[in-house]
Amino acid sequence: MPKNSFKIRLKIAKNKLSRKNLYKNKQSPSSIGTAFKMSTELVSAVVVGTIIGFILDKTFGTKPWLILIFFFVGVVAGILNVFKSAKKMQK
Amino acid sequence: MATNPMHQFNVYRIGPEIKLGQIDISFTNASLFMVISSITILLVFNLGSKKNSLIPNKMQLLAELSYTFISKMISDTAGSKAKPYFSFIFSIFMFVLFCNMFGMIPYSFTVTSHIIVTFVLASFIFIGVTIIGFIKHGLGYLKLFVPSGVPLVLMPLIVVIEIISYLSRPISLSVRLFANMMAGHTMMKVFGGFVISLGIVGGWLPLSFSVALTGLEILVAFLQAYVFAILTCIYLNDALNLHH
Repeated sequence: MPKNSFKIRLKIAKNKLSRKNLYKNKQSPSSIGTAFKMSTELVSAVVVGTIIGFILDKTFGTKPWLILIFFFVGVVAGILNVFKSAKKMQK
Repeated sequence: MATNPMHQFNVYRIGPEIKLGQIDISFTNASLFMVISSITILLVFNLGSKKNSLIPNKMQLLAELSYTFISKMISDTAGSKAKPYFSFIFSIFMFVLFCNMFGMIPYSFTVTSHIIVTFVLASFIFIGVTIIGFIKHGLGYLKLFVPSGVPLVLMPLIVVIEIISYLSRPISLSVRLFANMMAGHTMMKVFGGFVISLGIVGGWLPLSFSVALTGLEILVAFLQAYVFAILTCIYLNDALNLHH
């Protein structure tokens, strides 16, 4: 049965491939990619925090206060972002 | 014309002016290059998958390589649950990659060097992923904002921080691609300008630099498309496999 034996061989080869991938996973070529990634994580959270503070200030009329608070909350969120992606890199 | 390094980012109208109410929807050079890259993707993958021979020709090899590349990336980062979203991530990756690569051709226009293009892409991903999360987990998806093991006193602050961190995703996704493309292309133009202004005597150094920069830009063009796709996978993974 040539058809059957081919199926078995295919299965064995696929198994080998998936096992190989498991080991190869550790050194993915994306290390420059993650380096690019980290830089914007910090800034974007600060921007979002400031925008939210600005909008809330406009709606409630508490001019300088909420933007100040949300700016610093945004900084904290940015640091949290960097922490999270660093943790993901270690996995 | 060539002296201004920002001139390459100008968007101008091609053909007649079309207006939809107050909004100008005329065909511009940006839309032209988007159409060109979409058609190229369609052509490449149609040609690549037309004749499925056992020994692939170049087109088929290209199509198969990119298929396995993306499918491996998805299964590595988002697991087997993300398989149904393969076509979405594949088209996102290919579109960004082809737009970036078409931008590398001299006198062409880089679509992804405009923040509005990348922001629209990123916000589509963001909204889509959020909807998927709510469909899969219902209101339990909101647990994403409430990390476990936090004292009750700190809870309001932590939730606000987590929400800001979640909302910052589309911005960081879009700004990264846009800033990399724009900075790279501006730098190439500036060094090209140095070659002209220093002339035949001193122009060789910036010329060699701009050759090296072209190589770097091609790397960045690929890498940014890759990062864009892999981050889409990571966000999808957060939405599909909720464990905090």
